[in-house]
Amino acid sequence: MNLCHSLRYCFVFFLFAFLLACEKEPLLHSGMGKKPIYIPHNELNDIANLPQQEVISTGTIFLREPHFFMLEDRRGIHVYDVSDPNFPTYLTFLKIPAITDFSISGNRLYADSWRDLLTLDITDLFDIKVISRNENQLNPILFPELYNGIFECVDESRGAIGGWEDVYLEEAACQTNN
Amino acid sequence: MRNALLVILLILIFSACSKDQNMSLDNNGQSGSITRFVVHNDYMYVLNLNEVKTFSLSDPDNPQLVNVLTTDFGLETIIIYDETIFIGSTNALYILGIDQPDSPVLLSKSDRGEILLEGCDPVVVKDHFAYSTIKIINNICGIINAVSALVVYDIEDKLNPVFISQYPMNQPNGLGYKGNYLLVCDGGNHLVEVFDISNPHKVVLTDYSFGVSDPVDIIIKGEQAIISSKKEFRLYDISDIENIRPLGVIGK
Repeated sequence: MNLCHSLRYCFVFFLFAFLLACEKEPLLHSGMGKKPIYIPHNELNDIANLPQQEVISTGTIFLREPHFFMLEDRRGIHVYDVSDPNFPTYLTFLKIPAITDFSISGNRLYADSWRDLLTLDITDLFDIKVISRNENQLNPILFPELYNGIFECVDESRGAIGGWEDVYLEEAACQTNN
Repeated sequence: MRNALLVILLILIFSACSKDQNMSLDNNGQSGSITRFVVHNDYMYVLNLNEVKTFSLSDPDNPQLVNVLTTDFGLETIIIYDETIFIGSTNALYILGIDQPDSPVLLSKSDRGEILLEGCDPVVVKDHFAYSTIKIINNICGIINAVSALVVYDIEDKLNPVFISQYPMNQPNGLGYKGNYLLVCDGGNHLVEVFDISNPHKVVLTDYSFGVSDPVDIIIKGEQAIISSKKEFRLYDISDIENIRPLGVIGK
């Protein structure tokens, strides 16, 4: 979903910012739309190895032979051994809540954790450790991507965005428009 | 004077051997073509929607922010080729110089179109040519027009890249190349399209394209390709480009 950050132009119609709204556009919309699923801030540090997890929505891929890393959007990273290309094997899942991208250098894995940049020690792939959290380096996207329509505005005090669900919205104040 | 120096520098850069290096490759590994993070030597470059942030990794345990370059909104993908940063955004190709790796400078920005265009635009670079897939969804008066293509730029002059050709596609995603063959994931056709790019001015679709369900991104390493889909990845033997063979698969 976040592979292509392709929804670009998000116009947020706040009640008081009526001047920005189109003339005939009502300021609040009701109907089917999207609602953020929050990951509470205290769960962002729940970083750990897990057994094999289902692949739901892939993202960034990274090959560091013999290991292959594949992002699971907002959840973590699947790690495989591809030394035998005919029989790749699942090694472990790195649980990193709210992750949307990462890179690797040496035995360090760098990933986003909502607004923070995380550094993980992956020397032992089966026992990863958080080394540092560099706060407020990243600007997450605060609207549903690849989507045209109304959505419930993001309330960051409730946590990081872990996904979006389709629901009926009463008087939603945000919409994407591209 | 500054420009003259820059030109001399560019000539020096171009006179270096061209590498057949694919995407973001360093000693540590290789990413696909769709990512917002890239590590190069002792620096990491990270995209926000309208910023390129440079982190020093001189202490790899604690990346330090050393530079912020502000751009227009819409940054999507970043790769490094030949000591140069290439960024795909929704409506432009950015080229950044990193002769001073702690402070990237904008060399050029090739605008593609109007503000209503939307894309998803990974880039790969080979020699003096950049290949980018674009997905354009044009919403005019509520009528949605999707125009997607593989576009080719001549980047010999990094200060002034020239758009040279484009090839229509369905819903292109990630891409990579092996020699003179460019492999492009097309999620609309459920194909990985194989183009002959021996003449970048006239890319030719070959008969070697092969079916992959919902392909997203690709890493090419030697004689093998790893291709990710929404819900799985698969390895391919690409030693004989005319006869690409599936190897192992993991996923659903």
